[in-house]
Amino acid sequence: MLTLAPLAGMAQIAKIAINGAGAEGAQGGIWLIALASFACLFLGLALIAAGELAAHLADNRLTHGLRRALVERLSRVPLGWFSSRASGEVKQAMQDDIGTLHELTAHYYTTLGRAGGAILFSVVYMLVVDWRMAIASLLPFPFYYLIFGAAKKAISEERMTQFVTGQARINNAVIEFVNGIPVVKAFGVSGKAHGAYREAVDAFTKAFLSFTQPLVAPLANANAIIAPVTVLGVVLAFGTLFVSLGWIAPVDVLPFALIAPGISGPLMLLGFISHGVADGTAAAQRVQALLETERLEQPAPGTLQVPAGTEVRFENVGYAYDGQNAVLSSIDLTLAPGTVTAVVGASGAGKSTLARLLLRFFDPTEGRILLGGADLRLIETSQLYRSIGFVLQDVRLVNASVYDNIALGRPSASRQQVEAAAQAASIHERILALPRGYDSVIGEDAKLSGGEEQRICIARAVLLDPPVMVLDEATSAADAENEAAIQKALSRMARGRTLLVVAHRLDTIRHADRIVVMEDGAIREQGTHAQLLSAGGAYARLWQSGGYADAVQEAVAP
Amino acid sequence: MMRTFIQLLGEDAPIFRRYVWMAVLYGLLSGLTIAALVPVLTRLLAGDAHGSALWLCVLLVGVVACWAWRRQVEKAGIGVGIVVLQGARHRIGDHVARLPIGWFTPENTARLNHAVSNGMMEIAQLPAHVFTPVFSGAVTPVVIVVVLFALQWQMGLIALLALPVFSAVFVIAARFGRRADETYHRNAARTSQRMIEFAQAQSVLRAFNGEGGGTRFLEQAIDRQRRSGRELILLSTASVVLNSWVVQAVLAALLMVAVVDIQARLGAGLEAGPVIGLVVALLLSNRFVEPLLDVAGYGEALRGARNQLEAVREILAISPLAEPEAPREPKNASVELRNVTFRYAADQPPLLQGIDLKVEPGSMVALVGASGSGKTTLMRLVARFFDVESGSVLVGGVDVRHMTGERLAGQISQIFQDTYLFQGTIAENIRIGRPDASDAELAEAIRQAGVERIVARMPDGLETVVGEGGARLSGGERQRISIARALIKDAPILLIDEATAALDAENQAAIAETLSRLRGKRTLIVIAHQLSTVAMADRIVVLDAGQIREEGSHDGLRAQDGLYARFLKQRQAAKGWHIAATP
Ligand SMILES: Nc1ncnc2c1ncn2[C@@H]1O[C@H](COP(=O)(O)OP(=O)(O)OP(=O)(O)O)[C@@H](O)[C@H]1O
Ligand SMILES: Nc1ncnc2c1ncn2[C@@H]1O[C@H](COP(=O)(O)OP(=O)(O)OP(=O)(O)O)[C@@H](O)[C@H]1O
Ligand SMILES: [Mg+2]
Ligand SMILES: [Mg+2]
Repeated sequence: MLTLAPLAGMAQIAKIAINGAGAEGAQGGIWLIALASFACLFLGLALIAAGELAAHLADNRLTHGLRRALVERLSRVPLGWFSSRASGEVKQAMQDDIGTLHELTAHYYTTLGRAGGAILFSVVYMLVVDWRMAIASLLPFPFYYLIFGAAKKAISEERMTQFVTGQARINNAVIEFVNGIPVVKAFGVSGKAHGAYREAVDAFTKAFLSFTQPLVAPLANANAIIAPVTVLGVVLAFGTLFVSLGWIAPVDVLPFALIAPGISGPLMLLGFISHGVADGTAAAQRVQALLETERLEQPAPGTLQVPAGTEVRFENVGYAYDGQNAVLSSIDLTLAPGTVTAVVGASGAGKSTLARLLLRFFDPTEGRILLGGADLRLIETSQLYRSIGFVLQDVRLVNASVYDNIALGRPSASRQQVEAAAQAASIHERILALPRGYDSVIGEDAKLSGGEEQRICIARAVLLDPPVMVLDEATSAADAENEAAIQKALSRMARGRTLLVVAHRLDTIRHADRIVVMEDGAIREQGTHAQLLSAGGAYARLWQSGGYADAVQEAVAP
Repeated sequence: MMRTFIQLLGEDAPIFRRYVWMAVLYGLLSGLTIAALVPVLTRLLAGDAHGSALWLCVLLVGVVACWAWRRQVEKAGIGVGIVVLQGARHRIGDHVARLPIGWFTPENTARLNHAVSNGMMEIAQLPAHVFTPVFSGAVTPVVIVVVLFALQWQMGLIALLALPVFSAVFVIAARFGRRADETYHRNAARTSQRMIEFAQAQSVLRAFNGEGGGTRFLEQAIDRQRRSGRELILLSTASVVLNSWVVQAVLAALLMVAVVDIQARLGAGLEAGPVIGLVVALLLSNRFVEPLLDVAGYGEALRGARNQLEAVREILAISPLAEPEAPREPKNASVELRNVTFRYAADQPPLLQGIDLKVEPGSMVALVGASGSGKTTLMRLVARFFDVESGSVLVGGVDVRHMTGERLAGQISQIFQDTYLFQGTIAENIRIGRPDASDAELAEAIRQAGVERIVARMPDGLETVVGEGGARLSGGERQRISIARALIKDAPILLIDEATAALDAENQAAIAETLSRLRGKRTLIVIAHQLSTVAMADRIVVLDAGQIREEGSHDGLRAQDGLYARFLKQRQAAKGWHIAATP
């Protein structure tokens, strides 16, 4: 409001100048008005700047808090939540949607206050000066609202959703394009981007067009109607009319010519911001929904249990990924401390799913899993993840130094401990050969071969040193020498611990204390290697078809 | 900035140029229309309603013309935005697809991601929301300066001088925030990358989060983004304040001059004409300042977009793998490495040294060697994912560097060590191998790769969605789909990297059978730790310390007391998983 002072001041000065009334007294008056207007102007500017600054800083704090809250929340949702959507969507929600809130938090109220104030001041001022002229000058503005409002209605919910989905699709497509670049190069059209990326770009453009196309003309019209030139034209037209009618003096047109066009700016800003608010509100709703994502069941305070011992028991466990198709059913299995239990079976039988349940990536749809007598659901998460370590089937390193990757589960571990773990996983030497040794960053100066990455994952699990260890195809990419070395090191380490091993190569598990054969999500048979062979069931058949019989014999014979 | 913009637009640049001219013309038009105010107002104030009405008509014609023209400009602006969103994104995509694999580090990937998704959005908004007011906002004041000169030369002079001063301040203020802006965008890109990692590696991050180590990286990135955001806000506010205060100071100066002049004239007695001129000049100085304020207000948006453009420019500046000038055609399905030496980085010892290997069309060669011995690397050289340092790689008797990328890719089909599937259905993923494959061919590939069993179990069959990277499938299922994808392509050369590592005995046998059927028809190069697969090969090549140490058949090598024999013994002697008895 204060920033409008010079306009009013100018009007005043002009009036004095033209009327030339009481030349002497006016002189000082003019200066006074000029100075006062500028004092007001700069004071107003300073206030605006301060207000904007405060709002932006608050927004920065708020978005930061929201992002942290989302990390916290999403760390507790069932893992299926992640596998049922693309990483790009997660990023869009955490980064872009929250960024869109900016319009709402940083701009909305300051703009509303500032623009609203300015408009109000102008209108009142003009009404006070001359109500007829004021009404005439304000004539274009209702039209603006009419057209603008109609245009905004054209932004249907559906188009808006399409637009946002289109954006998410681009996000996803870029991620896939980049992650799958070898596949794109090997199978794509040479020199062309990944097909899904191209489609996503085109689809987005279409969504964008259908979103903006209906807006272009009305918005251009609306903006033209309140463009300062137009407003001036209207003011002068009516001014001329009123003057010739003798309703007002020519000089009285001036304040209107000065003030009325000044309303356009704030009004356009309000229109613009209301657009941002629509975006922001939609984004806020998405963020809100995300913050309320169903978590894994949290134990009620007081019901927390602490596992006594490291025995693992599956009691009549069943699981279905999508709630209908059972991947596991009635699994009863006990992993005794100090033993190795091997799980074998055809691909897709549910071995990895069994391992994931033990890690509580999701809860069984039926039955329960006990660790040291305590239901996994009642064990505090950090306690659980200190008790169970694993090497997953898919090798996954994070973009951090080799050291940090190994120390992921125990950031407080000492250098020696980390190196000892690397040695156990027979990857120490290779790490030392990297440009910056343990400080080399994965994906940047530490690009490793498949087997090497796998061994880092093993070192990570070894360092965690948990009482229960799950190894899902942990050495599938290791060569014979490394595999033997790792198995030996882990066998030594595993004394007194519980080991669950998933393996396809039966020769690697023939010394396990118990072998569990899975078929279609159920346990088909279990026993030691010798027992199962003599039983002549599924295991014996697998052993035969793998051709291990000859190999082992050969090893024994010559 | 404009240059980068035009580079980004490539052949669509004329659309942009046309738009710029239109915007400038619009600025001129509105300047002239505003100039028409002068006679209207002068006559009105002088009490000449009739003359004023005449000029008013001129003014109104101008207003209508402005309006019509603005619509055109806006349409053209949207057109440019579309070209950015579509054309430029395609251009970046195609460019990136031609970059060497080595470029795709996490840092570069993060930047690319940020530039294509958020950056392009920001840049596309420029014409529609920013350029029009800025371009016209820069032209209109110039017209007004001329008029001001005519009315009151001192004011004209001040306005004229203010223009370069203002441009200078504007540039300085933009400089001011640029570094902070860059840092902010870099951090935002990194945070985005961390979020993607958070989603993709959730299982690992969560299971190792006992001490908060898993979410630590993302949290740190978020904190960093906040800090750089704060810095950016402070600097931006400073530059906004600077810009707008300078503009307002110009207004103040103009007003002062007017006041002084009015004073002087009032002192000298009344003289209607010049005083009216002065008053009109006052009004004009307002019109002079307003567009400049607009320009100042858009400084932020301009600077942000500038940085995004810069990021895009850097990506476009990376030179892609060179294509030959006179491409040659491969003669057959042979693969040959001649005295090949290769290293990934100049400061590292060579990984492969003096490798000589010839694979005849239709033969099957197994590569064996310790983990990290360079087996996968050798395959990558054949597919020209990297170029050799010395020596040459020949496919069909032609150096891969003398073939077009398209021709080479057509010769080779690959099964990678780390399987990657795209979001979509099983069928779509297999068809990536050959989009025009018939249903019969699809069915055949499915049968040969053992995908039949997966499809039979899934309720949605071939239409089962696999999730990002194939996350909704088991390890072995993923692998078999990638095998089907490679088989359906039906290229003369098949490179197979650890294709059976995640498979059970039965499926492995199925794949082995498929491979044995392909023998003699396709050239096969196989990397395997599985004895059964290795034993099938016509020739086994043992890699060690960057060189080929042994070559021969399974039986021949087993009889020797070399690396291969040792490798076999180790496998057999290993006790596998057990818990050691007390020491
Ligand atoms: N995230 C998921 N969403 C839906 N279905 C899934 C998901 N993960 C796995 N499945 C399905 O569950 C079944 C069992 O998968 P699991 O990974 O447990 O198999 P597996 O025995 O480990 O096989 P492999 O030996 O191939 O690794 C498979 O049919 C698979 O397609
Ligand atoms: N892009 C890369 N940049 C730098 N070094 C790399 C890169 N890729 C691999 N290396 C290094 O080169 C060596 C050989 O890697 P390669 O992937 O060829 O091994 P490999 O024989 O396939 O091993 P594995 O059996 O474990 O898959 C490894 O030590 C690895 O760390
Ligand atoms: Mg599995
Ligand atoms: Mg490899």
